[in-house]
Amino acid sequence: MLLEIIDGTEGGGLVVIKDSVNCPGRCLLKSCVNAALRRKESVHVLGFDVSEEELRAGLDGEAAKSLVFHNGYTDPLCWTGMGTGQLTALHFSAQEIRARISQSRGPEPVTLAVDSLSWVLRHNPTASVCQSLQELRRDGLLKRILVLLHSDLHQHGMVDSVCHLASTVVTVAPFSGLGGVVGETAPQGIAMTTQRIKSGKVLQEEECFTVGQDLSVQVYGRPSQPGLTEPEPEDSQADPAANLTFNLRLSEHERQAKDNLALPFAFSQEKKSALLRPRAGGGQILYEPDAADDFDQEDPDDDLDV
Amino acid sequence: MAARMKNVNKASLNQGVSVTVGTTSFQKKSRSKFVSIPGTRPSVQNGQLIVSTGVTSLDYVIGGGLAVGSLLLIEEDKYDSYSRMLLKYFLAEGVVCGHSLFIASAKDHPDEILKELPAPLLDDVPNTNAEHLQKQGSDPECQDSMKIAWRYQNLPQVQTTLASSTRFGHYFDVSKSMNSEMRQAARCDLFFLPSELPLESPEDISRMNIGYTKLLRSIQGVIHREGFDGACLQNKPRSILRIGIHSLGSALWGDDICYKESPHYAHSLTTFLYSLRALLRGSLSVCMVTVPSHLIQNKAIMSRVTKLCDTVISLESFRGSKRETNPLYKEYHEGLLHVKQIPHLNCLRCEVPDTKDLAFKLKRKQFTIEYFHL
Amino acid sequence: MFPELNSILNTSPDHFPRGEFTLVSDRQADASFLIHHFLSFYLRAGCKVCFLGLVQSFSHYSAVSQRLGVNLAQAKEKGQLVFLEGLKETLSILLRENRSSDTDTLSFLSRSPCTDLRGLFGFVRGCVRGEQGPWGPPVLIVDDLSVMLSLGVSADALLDFSHYCQATVCSELQGNVVMLTRGEDEEGEDDEDLGRLLTGLAHSCHLALRVRGLATGYCKDIHGEVELCWRGGRTSVNFSGLTDHRRVYQYKIQDKGVSFFARGTSSAVL
Repeated sequence: MLLEIIDGTEGGGLVVIKDSVNCPGRCLLKSCVNAALRRKESVHVLGFDVSEEELRAGLDGEAAKSLVFHNGYTDPLCWTGMGTGQLTALHFSAQEIRARISQSRGPEPVTLAVDSLSWVLRHNPTASVCQSLQELRRDGLLKRILVLLHSDLHQHGMVDSVCHLASTVVTVAPFSGLGGVVGETAPQGIAMTTQRIKSGKVLQEEECFTVGQDLSVQVYGRPSQPGLTEPEPEDSQADPAANLTFNLRLSEHERQAKDNLALPFAFSQEKKSALLRPRAGGGQILYEPDAADDFDQEDPDDDLDV
Repeated sequence: MAARMKNVNKASLNQGVSVTVGTTSFQKKSRSKFVSIPGTRPSVQNGQLIVSTGVTSLDYVIGGGLAVGSLLLIEEDKYDSYSRMLLKYFLAEGVVCGHSLFIASAKDHPDEILKELPAPLLDDVPNTNAEHLQKQGSDPECQDSMKIAWRYQNLPQVQTTLASSTRFGHYFDVSKSMNSEMRQAARCDLFFLPSELPLESPEDISRMNIGYTKLLRSIQGVIHREGFDGACLQNKPRSILRIGIHSLGSALWGDDICYKESPHYAHSLTTFLYSLRALLRGSLSVCMVTVPSHLIQNKAIMSRVTKLCDTVISLESFRGSKRETNPLYKEYHEGLLHVKQIPHLNCLRCEVPDTKDLAFKLKRKQFTIEYFHL
Repeated sequence: MFPELNSILNTSPDHFPRGEFTLVSDRQADASFLIHHFLSFYLRAGCKVCFLGLVQSFSHYSAVSQRLGVNLAQAKEKGQLVFLEGLKETLSILLRENRSSDTDTLSFLSRSPCTDLRGLFGFVRGCVRGEQGPWGPPVLIVDDLSVMLSLGVSADALLDFSHYCQATVCSELQGNVVMLTRGEDEEGEDDEDLGRLLTGLAHSCHLALRVRGLATGYCKDIHGEVELCWRGGRTSVNFSGLTDHRRVYQYKIQDKGVSFFARGTSSAVL
């Protein structure tokens, strides 16, 4: 599923990449952007976290020329007054974004990447951010919105609210070296992708991935499998019942004989059903007291046919 | 630009004062001056000017003494018996050395604290351990001769009481109180919050609560008036200002960190301590503050308070704790003493103690701190 | 500066990476010795240093730097070092009768609740963008950022401030920024603001130095551990940032320096 997102074939809408300090997700965002650029799509980036230089590093040289970078990094809060007319983190609204994009867009539908939404969330009320994102999504202007969100910088509620809007959420976590695979072949991270399709169905997949120097993504498969580089045959699972001098298995005939065996001191079927039959007048307690102790030592629970 | 120039000037003015705390001084006048302040001496580790806290073993534990310009925080024990005692020792030491005092309290009137100061023992107190060793050394046959562990016979006894070789600071007799002549001879400034509280218009500074603001202004006033910040450069005999603040942060100071988990005045105490630190660093003064940390609900505030103070010790008396049930502890000691932080001012490293398990006991003539081992 | 740390970080006063944001944090230990290292390192390298000393007086840094072979007073006079003494400035603002204007350096103290650190950033900007002189790239050192949390500044305001410092000093002027944040003391402490501040700074830093006390408890000969974490800079090899490069060393502070050694190789042990 991760590859589909990178190829842009997952169906558009809002894609949220959730990362944390231990596993930054910017490289995934950049590989999506890079792939979109290679497909000659029109890409706009709202940059808050890193400078334009740093974002462009690694992108495909030729294709990257068509990337439009809206600079919200130098002066997001208008402190220096240098960036008049530049993007700010204050007053994030769909209108403003639309206006900026229309200033320099190409003919194709536009892919918008936000790096990162955390800046916007810190300076705007969550409700208005969600509303703006939803409005942008409803527009025909944008084909896809890619958003990078640092999940550890906000309260759970805020992060969940934004993810609730999204059609696809990719949560990135560090790879913890399971299965003893270390070194060059070890994947860099684990991506848990959740996608909501229009029909209401939810697809989920967990994959290990590595992002290469040229921003190409290599996906390995589920992390729970030991030995990620080769497929593991099922029967190598150790079978404890094999290679023994005695037989622990039952054949069909033996199983039937076992089921049919009547156990000693167990009630017969008729007696059981007689006891289970509902009686008229429910819980009557008929007690005939004896002079001495009434309990049967051999059968205190009174369920053996002795 | 103009603002920065002003700072430079101020810095050079205060250079005279800050230089005395151990940097290489190129002002000959101040060098001769700092030697002559009574009750202080340069530290053996880094030449920093230090004073005694009044308790010899506490001096040893915090690295020789309390550095001038620093802040000592004592986390009170549950019933505030020993922390109050340490405060009184601190002030009594100041009286004996001829230092000026500033006492601030919101609970008992500072006059009462003054009246309770212990009397100093002006003749030498024999070091009981040394005496014991002496006796043993003189008469070898009387020693407990060890039958099994005889190889250890000639090794010196383990010195559990912490004391440095040179005496610095005085001993006090807790059962007697200081006579009034001595007390009155000392310069004393008092701050009692209930008498300051009929407030004028509340100030705009809502960062700190009003009690702390008044206290801060009062301390600043005393420092400036008496010239502890080097402002009046007359040839007055220099002295140290000892500031003792009792039970800071408690509800009596108007602060709510002791009874609320998310207090309204969350930053009040920390802002006060930061400003106090600024005052101390720029003057010849030393401060001891006791805080009822066991009441403070929010542990994060307590850790911030710890970082803002220089030396932090915490007292845990057996009488208030769960350990009361074990009678063994009470026989030997009255409580545990934790050294939470020791500053390293003007140097990279501080004196690192051998061990951090310390216990204290209060005898009539001495408050001793020992290594805790059974 | 500590020569051993220089070799670990693969830097020297003649050759060091530029445009780097270094975060120094500690937990159950005191990381201020690293600040002294960076201060003397960058002064030796001939950079113009803007130092925000918010917790100690100038004489303290001066005394320590003397032992490390750098004269702070001289550097200040020559204009290589601009030193903001937070303690002194704070007093005058906190106890002042009249309001101060927005552009004052520590104006955030006089208003409550504090909104932003614009004034402080203005001071930093004026210092680093000012007349360059014969000095090298500008360097900003902050000691320490977390004390402002104690003064009522919110974590968000501090994150904004550090972003602006990084944007101006690192990206625009190709200088370096070093910030110290003193971390949690005990386990399970709920200091949300501090946690957010640390996380936010960790997201944007290039090199993180985390100082911790020993997990096994207090030891007289080994004072703690330092974990160095390179997060992948802008033009460095692993720019993708996913593969963090981490190393752990133990250290012991001495009078005139700090010695670093690999875990378990302390001279007291071997």
